[in-house]
Amino acid sequence: MIEVFLVLLVTALSASLLGVFLVLNKQVMTTDALSHTILLGIVLAFFITDELRSPLLIIGAAAVGLITVYLIEFVTRSGLMKHDAATGIVFTGLFAAAVILVSRYADDVHLDIDVVLMGQVLFAPLNRIDIFGISLPYALVQLTILLMINTLFVLLFYKDLKVSSFDPVYAAAAGISTVLIHYSLMTLVSITAVTAFDAVGSILVISFFAAPAATAYLVTKRLSHMIWLTLSTAAFNSLAGCALGYFTDTSIAGSVAFISLLTFFIVFIFNSTRLLSKVYKKA
Amino acid sequence: MDILTSYSFLVVALGTVILAAAAGIIGSVSVLKGQSLIGDAVGHATFPGVVLAFMLTGVMETSILIIGAVSLGIIAFLLINMMTERSKISLDSALAIVLSGFFGLGMALKSYIQGNPNFNGTQGIDDFIFGQAAYILKSDVYLISLISVISLILFLIFYQQIKIYVFDPVYARTIGINVKLINVLILIMTILLIAAGLKSVGAVLIVNILIAPAVIGMLWSNKFSSVLAVAACAGALSAFSGTYISTALTGIATGPAIILSLSICVIISMLAAPKGIVLKKYRMKKLGESL
Repeated sequence: MIEVFLVLLVTALSASLLGVFLVLNKQVMTTDALSHTILLGIVLAFFITDELRSPLLIIGAAAVGLITVYLIEFVTRSGLMKHDAATGIVFTGLFAAAVILVSRYADDVHLDIDVVLMGQVLFAPLNRIDIFGISLPYALVQLTILLMINTLFVLLFYKDLKVSSFDPVYAAAAGISTVLIHYSLMTLVSITAVTAFDAVGSILVISFFAAPAATAYLVTKRLSHMIWLTLSTAAFNSLAGCALGYFTDTSIAGSVAFISLLTFFIVFIFNSTRLLSKVYKKA
Repeated sequence: MDILTSYSFLVVALGTVILAAAAGIIGSVSVLKGQSLIGDAVGHATFPGVVLAFMLTGVMETSILIIGAVSLGIIAFLLINMMTERSKISLDSALAIVLSGFFGLGMALKSYIQGNPNFNGTQGIDDFIFGQAAYILKSDVYLISLISVISLILFLIFYQQIKIYVFDPVYARTIGINVKLINVLILIMTILLIAAGLKSVGAVLIVNILIAPAVIGMLWSNKFSSVLAVAACAGALSAFSGTYISTALTGIATGPAIILSLSICVIISMLAAPKGIVLKKYRMKKLGESL
């Protein structure tokens, strides 16, 4: 059980860290788009390998994830439609293509979107890997590495991320390549999302990207504070949700996602009188 | 040619064409207001409603499950509205939080009833959520037509108010239009269309039918009425060709086929429409020469 919690915690931290910038850039729904389009990557990779447990499936998913992100950006930047409309059209189009491929060519294969969408964190510890003689859950190792990469990215480009999130015009004027920063961020988001979908299921990943960062954003305006609050909220949500799921014997991913919504709302209601913001400022 | 005159094809085509035309018109409002993805979030939020309705009544009756779905959809919408109006949280974040939180609740509740001997016959719930690619029956066409016609009549009655509300909500308020009412009205029409489309195209893909026709319309015109007309035609045309493709070829479900037809229309419009890439390039070049 402790391993299940650790997988949740590491996933929560790596996703919510990037979530801070998605919330600030108003692009969280891109992760929802990713959760659907990766099916196309999985299907295409499956046609090549003809095997359901091949690591190529994850690579295919990540590749289509990147294509999704770039396609949405490309359509939005062409100025032909708004970002949300572009997101809606791109992801449903790719998803429809995937559904047709499955139903026409792989109907007899157990290639189920439930598996992708619902993901079972309980099963994460079953898939193990040996590192220096210690047996660890594969997902835990993968996500820890991603957490380190994401942390490194945020630390190295902290200033650029900050300026391009809060004042993109100034950032461009100051010679920061907002486009490069943005595409690097979205690339990391896509890779993190796909790895995390595999471990805990897509709904919970969307929640990890959105809820902790938005909860922190209610209380503070300073980026450094927001990051710390986001990470703490993510850890709290995982712990509380994991406990709820464990003791009521219900879906852990579902419980954590629901607890994240509750946490957000409790902060939201208390903060409607600006109470928490004031307390937080004083502390 | 056989397909075009076959009875079952005509029944399915009639249903999808009416649905897509209505969704094209109603969806235009959300797209113009920059709220395209609200249908996606509300659609996910109906999941716990279905499970709760089943838990409370213990029967797997479509009409009861729809009532549960619509109620939770409305609650989700009101929460989203409250979050964006009373804090600095953007619509995008609010949608993602509500979508995942509600769907998570649905997952937790579903896993609870599945492990509980007090509840029997839970296997139908998934079909309801992910939509069945089963053939549409005549009774479904009646339902779709009824819902679409009601939505369209409501839309026509409030046409002037909706138009002003879309383009200038502040002005709408000052001349005494009940903005909240219009907002809820559009939401109810959207949810009803989502519910009607569940069986034929599935909850995820209905989002596309609510967005794509409007985008096509906006590429061809700036006038509200023409945008709506183009959207309705594009929706209807794609629904017809999509249904034809799925009937002619085996193993292609109707919903995805319609979406692919719509996607092709979007790509063509992005290139060739008056506001599209090709003409824009041409105008730029002309401008460059004249300078």
